[in-house]
Amino acid sequence: MIDIPSARSMTKIEKAIVISLSKDGKAYLAFADQEMRRETLQKMVERVGERFPDLKTITPEQTKQFGFIEVFGTPLEDLPRVLKLNGGDYKTYQDKLPGIPTDSVHNQLADWIWAARYANPKMKIAIKGDKSTNIKDVQRVIEILTKDADVHRFNLITTLGGATTTEEKKEE
Amino acid sequence: MAEIDTSGGGGHKDGKVRAKKMSTKVDLTPMVDLAFLLITFFMLTTTLNKPSAMELNMPKKIENPDDKPEEVRECQVLNLLVDTLDQVWYYDGLTVAGLQKTTFAGDAGIRKEILRSKKRVLRECGVSPKTNKPRPLICLIKLMPGSRYKNMVDILDEMDIAQVPVYAIQEYSPIEKEAVDNGGKVTTFATGN
Repeated sequence: MIDIPSARSMTKIEKAIVISLSKDGKAYLAFADQEMRRETLQKMVERVGERFPDLKTITPEQTKQFGFIEVFGTPLEDLPRVLKLNGGDYKTYQDKLPGIPTDSVHNQLADWIWAARYANPKMKIAIKGDKSTNIKDVQRVIEILTKDADVHRFNLITTLGGATTTEEKKEE
Repeated sequence: MAEIDTSGGGGHKDGKVRAKKMSTKVDLTPMVDLAFLLITFFMLTTTLNKPSAMELNMPKKIENPDDKPEEVRECQVLNLLVDTLDQVWYYDGLTVAGLQKTTFAGDAGIRKEILRSKKRVLRECGVSPKTNKPRPLICLIKLMPGSRYKNMVDILDEMDIAQVPVYAIQEYSPIEKEAVDNGGKVTTFATGN
C-alpha cells in the first residue's frame, strides 16, 4: 500500500501511465486501460524480443491475460512464466511483486515507458511515490524518464491535504 | 409509591375513570425510509477522493549551443538543502556560508525565508536586460541522501505556494553535504555549485 504525500495542488489527473514506487523502492507500472496494456506488451516484445527470446512464446491468449493486470511489476525474464500462472497462483504472486528492474544494467523501466508511450503518446506520465520512499529511488526514476525515455514533463501524484500537512509535520 | 404508570391507568383497581390504553409500539417505516433517503443522498453527493497531481518540468538538454539561457546573477540564488530529519538548510548565493536551518512547518518555516528572499532579489538584483523585467528568484533544491519522497513533494509544494518563478532540483555538492552533516558548520570555503 502506498501512502501518498499531501500537497496543495488540486489538478486532477484522470488517465496516466503511473509509475508507482513502494517504500522499499520497487517500481511498478499501472496503465489506465486494458487495450493499452496489451498494445504495450506487443510493442515491448517487438523492442526487446531479441534480448529476451522467451517473450516470443507469449500467446495472444496470454497477451489478453496481460490486459487484466492492473498493477504490473515483473522482470521481463520472468514474464512468460507469470502469464502462465492460473488465477489462484497469480493472486499469491501478486502479493509480493518483485518490481520492474531500474538499475543501469537491466533498465527495463525505460523500455516499458518507451513501449507505453508508443502505444499511447498522449498519455501523461505520473510518479506515485510513498511518503517514505528514499529520494535516491525517486531520483533514479526521474533520471530514467529524462535521460532514457526523453520525458521532461510529468506529474507527481499527491493528495489534497492542505491544512493537515503542517500538523503532521509538527507531530513528527 | 413513586412510580411512573406506563400502563395507561390499567393498574388501578378502584374502577375510576381510566385513560384510554395507548399502544407503545412505534411504526418504524418512516424512519427506515428517511435513513435510506439519507444514505442515497450521501452516496450520490460524495465524490470519490481522486488523487491530484503536481506537474514537474525537468530541463531538456540544450541542443543549440548559441541559444544560451540568460546568465544567472549570484544574488538571485537561494539554495535549499533538504536533510533526513525533515529540516531545510538554506543559504543565499553560491558560496556555502551562513547556512541556517528551518522546518517545513507552515508560515513560520521555510516559506517565510523564501518570501523574504523573493523580496530581497526584487530589491537588490536589478533588471534583466533580456526580458526588461526584474530578475526573478532562483531556488536550487538539493535533496540530501536519505531524505524521503515526502520532503521532495513538500519543498515543491512550497515552490508552488510561494510562487517561485524559477526552481530546479540539483545534485548536492560534497561541501554542502559536509556542512549539513556538521550541523551547518562550514569548514571548507568554496563555491557550492
